[in-house]
Amino acid sequence: MGFRPMMSSLMRSKTGPILVALQIAVTLAIVINALFIISQRVEKMDRDTGMDIANVIVTDVRGFGQGFDVVDSIRNDIDLIKSIPGIVAATVSNHAPLSGSGSGTGLRTVADETITPVSTARYQWSEEGLDALGIELARGRNFYPQEVIYDTPDMDADVPSVLITQALADELFGEDVDALGKTVYWGSMEPSTVIGIIGHMQGSWVNWDKLNNVVIHPGKPAYTNNRYIIRTEPGMRDELIPIIEQKLGESNLRRVVKNVRPLEEMAARSYRSDRGMAIILSIVIALLIGLTALVIVGLASFHVTQRTKQIGTRRALGATRTHIIKEFLLENWLITTAGAVLGVILTVVVAYWMETTFQLPRLDWRYLPAGIGILWALSSLAVLEPARRAASVPPAVATRSI
Amino acid sequence: MFKYNVKLAFKSMQRNPIMTGLMVAAIAVGIGVSMTTLTVHYLMSGNPIPEKSSVLYAVTMDSWNPLLPFDDDRPERAPHQVTYSDAERLLEIGKGKRQTAMFESSLVIEPIGDDGQPFEATARVTDGDFFPMFDVPFIYGSGWDSATDKSAETVVVLTKALNERLFGGEDSTGRQLQMNGAQFQVIGVIDAWEPTPRFYDPINGAFQEVMDMFVPYSVTRTLELDSIGSDWGWKSESITTFEQWLNSESTWIQYFVELDSPRDRSEYVAHLDAYVEGQKQLGRFERPMNNNIYDVMEWMEYHEVVEEDARVLLGLSFLFLLVCVLSTIALLLTKFIGKKGDVSLRRALGASRKAIFNQQIVEVAVIGFAGGTAGLGLAWLGLQGIDYLYDTPSALIRLDWVMVSTAIGVSVLSGMIAGMYPAWRVCQIPPAAQLKTQ
Repeated sequence: MGFRPMMSSLMRSKTGPILVALQIAVTLAIVINALFIISQRVEKMDRDTGMDIANVIVTDVRGFGQGFDVVDSIRNDIDLIKSIPGIVAATVSNHAPLSGSGSGTGLRTVADETITPVSTARYQWSEEGLDALGIELARGRNFYPQEVIYDTPDMDADVPSVLITQALADELFGEDVDALGKTVYWGSMEPSTVIGIIGHMQGSWVNWDKLNNVVIHPGKPAYTNNRYIIRTEPGMRDELIPIIEQKLGESNLRRVVKNVRPLEEMAARSYRSDRGMAIILSIVIALLIGLTALVIVGLASFHVTQRTKQIGTRRALGATRTHIIKEFLLENWLITTAGAVLGVILTVVVAYWMETTFQLPRLDWRYLPAGIGILWALSSLAVLEPARRAASVPPAVATRSI
Repeated sequence: MFKYNVKLAFKSMQRNPIMTGLMVAAIAVGIGVSMTTLTVHYLMSGNPIPEKSSVLYAVTMDSWNPLLPFDDDRPERAPHQVTYSDAERLLEIGKGKRQTAMFESSLVIEPIGDDGQPFEATARVTDGDFFPMFDVPFIYGSGWDSATDKSAETVVVLTKALNERLFGGEDSTGRQLQMNGAQFQVIGVIDAWEPTPRFYDPINGAFQEVMDMFVPYSVTRTLELDSIGSDWGWKSESITTFEQWLNSESTWIQYFVELDSPRDRSEYVAHLDAYVEGQKQLGRFERPMNNNIYDVMEWMEYHEVVEEDARVLLGLSFLFLLVCVLSTIALLLTKFIGKKGDVSLRRALGASRKAIFNQQIVEVAVIGFAGGTAGLGLAWLGLQGIDYLYDTPSALIRLDWVMVSTAIGVSVLSGMIAGMYPAWRVCQIPPAAQLKTQ
C-alpha cells in the first residue's frame, strides 16, 4: 500500500520529521519522570496515619499575667471541652502528630551510653490520648489514670511505663521479639517498662524516614503553652470548632486561645510541598502533552494542504480513502516511534541525573511502556482529523491545475 | 528596511494565523514555565545581603556528646546552634566588630485598660548589634545600644506591620506595651525588611517572615523567655528551674559575628579555640576541637536552603523550553517552506540572500517577542499559583526587573535560535525556481 509514497515524502523533507521525533523524545523524558515523581508524592500523602485524623481538633492555649495557675487552667479546660455534646475524648499533649513540630528522643534496650540509641518521636499525654486521636492499641494496656500526673516545669518526674509503636519495637528489639513487658532506657539511663504496643501511628515529621517510630509516656504537660487534642463524633468536627473556641475564650480572660483547627489542616500543611510538587508537575505534563499534540495537528494539517495535489493524484490512480488515512497514521506512527526510542534513552539519562543529584529513588521501569503507550495514543489521535481531511481530497483535484 | 521587514513579518504572520498562534503559544508556554521555576530558584539561591555577605559569619562550636557526633550523616559538623551560656560568654568576650546572640520567642501583648483582646506576638530576641549588623531600616526611632544589652532594660522594636496593628502606623516611640507581665517601651519601628532567604535564621525557616518584634537578649533571663524555635540537646540533665535550663548543654541560640574583613576569619576562629580550650579545663567540650564560622552564602549552602524540588523543577522546565524551541523550529520550517513561491519571486526581482535572511529573522524575532511577553504573563500567573500552593510570605514571590529582562532576552534568543536554520533554508531557494510551476 502507501508505504513508498509516504517514505518518499518523509525523505524529501527530513528535517521536519526529525524535529518532531526529537520533540517527542524530550516530551517522553519529561512526562515519564514527572509521572514517577507525582506517583511517589501521592503515595507518600496517602500513607495510613493510624489515627482518626478527620475528626480531630487541635488547639493551643496560653495563660498570662501574675498568679495564673496552669494546672488549674488545664483541668478546667479539659472538663469544659468534654462537657460539650459531640466530644468523644480530650487530652493535653506536648505536641500534635503530623504537625511538623514535635519532640524527638533516643531509646536504648540496654543501659549503655556508648550504644547508638534508636531515634523516635516522643509524646506525653493522658489516659485519654489514644482515644483523642483514635489510635488503636494492638497489645498490652493503656495508661491508668493514676499514672498520669501534671508535669510542671519544676518537676523531675520519673517515667515508669511507656507505649511504643510496633515500628519502634521492631527497631529496638527486632521483629522476632515481643517487646511487651520489656524495658527501654532513656538518654538519662532511666528505665521504662513497655506496657502497650500500638499497631501503627505516625509521628511528627512527615519527611522523616522514621515517621512511624513513636514513644508515649504518661503525663499532662503543664508548661507555658498548653496544647489540647480533641476528638469529636464523626462529622461534627467543623461545627464544634467555633463552639470550642468561644467557650475556651469566655471561660478565662487571662488566656489567649490560639489556632483552634483540624488536625487534617496541620497535616496538609506538612505535606504542602509534596502536594505543590504533584500539582505543578501535573500542570507541566498537561501543558507539554497539549503543546505536542497541537504541534502534531498543526504540522499534519499543513502537510495535507501542501500535498493536496499528490493526494489527489493518488486518489485518481486508485488509492482509497482508507489508504490515505492509514498512510498518514503510519507516517505519524513511524515518527512517534523513532522519537519514543530516542526518548527512552533520554528518559533514563534524566532519571539517572535525578537519582544521583538528588535523593530520589530509582525510576520504576514500568513507567517506560506506559509513557510510550500514552504518546502513541496521543499522536494518533492528534493526526486523525488532518488525515481525515486528507482522505476527503477528491481525485479530481489532480486534474485541476495542470 | 527594518520597518519594512517588520511590516512583512506581520503580513506573513497574518497569512497563517494558526501556525503563528501555535508558535507564539509554544514560546509563551516554554517561557512561562521556565521563568516561573527560574524565578523561584533565583529567589531561593539569591544573596540576601550582597553588601555584607562576606563579613557576616554564623558561629558553631562542638559542645556535643563526646560519644556521638551531632549529625550522624556528617560527623564533621558541629551543632548548628550554641548553648545559652556559651553565647553569653562569647558576647562578653566580644572580639568581633559586632556580634549578636539570638533566638525566636513569643510574648503575650496584654491589653492596656479594658479594651482590646490580648494576643500572642512573635519576637526575635537579640542584641542591639543586630540592627546595624544586618542593615535593618528604621521608620521611627532606632535599635538599642550595648548598655541596654547589659542592663536588661525592657525596650522593644516593632515591625511596621505590628506597629500598624497596635498604633495605627503612627510614630509610637516612647509608648508602652504590657507584655509577659512587664512594661516595655517602644524605641523603634522598622520598615519592611524581608531578606530572602532569611539568612540570619535558616534553621527555623529560610522562607519565613520576620518576627513581629525585637526584644533585648538580656531580658531572656529576667522574664524567663522560652524559645519557640528548635532546640537540640544530647545531655540528660535534671532541669527544674529556668536558670538550670540556661546553663544546660542544650543548643538553641544562634550566634552571628561581623568581622571587618574576611582576613580576620582565622583570627576569630583562634579566639573561639582559646575559649573552648578554657571550657575544656572545666570539663565541657569533650569532643575534638571543632569550631567554625560560615559566611552568609556558606551558611545558606550548609542548610541547603535551595530546596531539592526547586532544582528538579528547574531542570525539567528547561527541558520543557527545549521542547518548545524544537516545536517552533519544526513549525517555522514548515511555514517557510510554504513561502517558497514568495521568496523565489523576491529573489528573481533582485532581493539578495541576506535581505531574505534578515526578513525571516525579523519575523522570528517578532514571534519570539510576542511569545516572551505572553510568557511573562504566564510566569506571573505561575508565581501566583506557587504562592497559593506553598502559602509563601508575600515578599518571597516577586518578578523583579532582572527576571523580566531575562525572560524577554531568553524568549527572543530562543526565537532567533529556532529561526536560524529555517531562515537559512529559505535563503537557499533559487530565484525563479518556484515560479516555473505557476
